[in-house]
Amino acid sequence: MARSQPGTSVIVFEPQLCTGCRYCEIACAVWHCGRIDVTRSRIRILFDEGRTAERYAAVNCQHCDDAICCAVCPSEALQKDQKTGWVTQNSTKCVGCEMCIVACPLSVPIFDPALKVAVKCDFCLGAPECVKHCSSGALRLCAREEAVQLNARLYLSAKDDR
Amino acid sequence: MSAQVTRIFRFDASGCNGCDVEVLEATALVSLGELGIEIAERPDDANLLVVTGGANVKSKRELEIAYNAIQAPKTVVAVGSCAATMGIFKGGYAMAGPIDTIIPVDLYITGCPPRPQVILGALADALHLNVEGMEELLRTPQGFRGNPHVDQAKCVGCGACAHVCPADAIEIAGSGTKRRVRFMHKDCIFCGSCQDVCPSEAVELRAGRKEWFQTKEASLSEAYLAVRTCRLCGAAYTPDAQVAWALRRMGEKLSLDASDRGMVERSLGICMECRRKSIAEVREAKRILASLARGASA
Repeated sequence: MARSQPGTSVIVFEPQLCTGCRYCEIACAVWHCGRIDVTRSRIRILFDEGRTAERYAAVNCQHCDDAICCAVCPSEALQKDQKTGWVTQNSTKCVGCEMCIVACPLSVPIFDPALKVAVKCDFCLGAPECVKHCSSGALRLCAREEAVQLNARLYLSAKDDR
Repeated sequence: MSAQVTRIFRFDASGCNGCDVEVLEATALVSLGELGIEIAERPDDANLLVVTGGANVKSKRELEIAYNAIQAPKTVVAVGSCAATMGIFKGGYAMAGPIDTIIPVDLYITGCPPRPQVILGALADALHLNVEGMEELLRTPQGFRGNPHVDQAKCVGCGACAHVCPADAIEIAGSGTKRRVRFMHKDCIFCGSCQDVCPSEAVELRAGRKEWFQTKEASLSEAYLAVRTCRLCGAAYTPDAQVAWALRRMGEKLSLDASDRGMVERSLGICMECRRKSIAEVREAKRILASLARGASA
C-alpha cells in the first residue's frame, strides 16, 4: 500500500492548546461549501466540560500511511498521494457506497446527501484553512515523522482520564 | 379471445415516442394477419388498446375517450416504464398519470423502451396466440443487457446502486436490524449503472427473463441483509455484510497483524455517529490510528 515520501507534513491537533472556538470548522465549511454550515465541515471539534482532563478532541483526518479508507474504496476514488502525503478523494469516481465511512475507526469521511458521495479532508490542496485560522496553535502542520511521535505520546502513552 | 380477430389501437399518451417506434417494429417483425391481429385506425374499431407514455393533463382526457370507445372485451396493454410509472417524466408539472390511475390496465410490459420481441411476445402470451415457428424472431437479441438481478449472497447493502440509479428503480429500506435492497423492474431503463458501481459484484444485468406482468409490482429482485447494532447506543447502523466486506478488503490490501486487526474490528462495532460524538471514542479511534501509524513507520 501507499506510503508518504519523506518530508511530507500532516495536520496535528494538540488538545491542551485548543480553546474550543471552532473557527476551524467554520473556515473548513466556508472553503469547501462556500457557506457557514458547520455540519458540512470536514473537521469537528468536541468539547466536554464534564471531563477534568482532555476536554477537547478533534475529528480530523490523519492522512494515514497505508490508509484504511484507501484500502476499502472499491472505485479508487480515495487515493494516497505519495508525493504530498495527502489522502484525497475524487468525487467523480466515488460511487457513494460509504465503505470508507464504515471502515475508518474515526469515521472521518462524511456523506454528502446532495452529491451522493463521501467527502473528506483534502488538505485544502496545500494550505489547510483550519490550520490557517487556528488562533491558539492547537492545529498545526508538522513533519510526518514528528507527528507520528506526537500522536504516540498523546494517545498511546497517556492514560485516558475521564 | 384467440378465435376472434384482435384489433389493436395504439394510443400515444405523451411519451417520448421511443416505445412507439418499438411497437411499430414489433408489428413489422411478423405478419400480423397470420396471428389474427389487425391494426385499427379508430378506437371504436378496436378491442385492444396499446398505450405508450405516462399521460399528461391533455392526453388524459383523450385516453379516457379512447378507452370508452374500444369494443368489449376491452384489453389495455401498458407499454414501457412511462405507462407503468411515468418514468423519466415523473414529477413533471403536466403529468396526470400513470395510466393505471386513469383506466384499468391488463398487462404491463417493462422496459425503457421494451424490445419489439418482448412486445410481440407479451401480446402473444396475453392473447394466447399460436407463435409456433416464430421462436427465433421472439428471442432476446445478442448484446441486450436485460434487467438487473441482485445476488443475495454477494450483496452488502451499501446502497451505491440506489445512489447512482437515474430512474429511481432501486429502493433501500429497512426497519430495525433488517435492510432490504429492492430492484423494481417497472422503472428500470437497463442503463447498467448499478452493475458498474456495485463494490461486491452482486448486481448483474441479465436478459432472457419474462418482462411482462399482470401487475406492475410483480417484477422485483430483492436482497435482505442483517444490520448490526451499535455497541454504545444500540442503534442499527450498517449491514454485517458491509463490515465483513471492508474487513476482508483491509486484509487483502494492508499488512495488519492479528492485534491491529482485532483493534480495527472492535472499532467498527460502534456506529458512525458514536465514533464522532464523544471525546472518549474519538481518543480511542485516534489511539488505534496512532498505533497503526507507529507500526507502519517502524
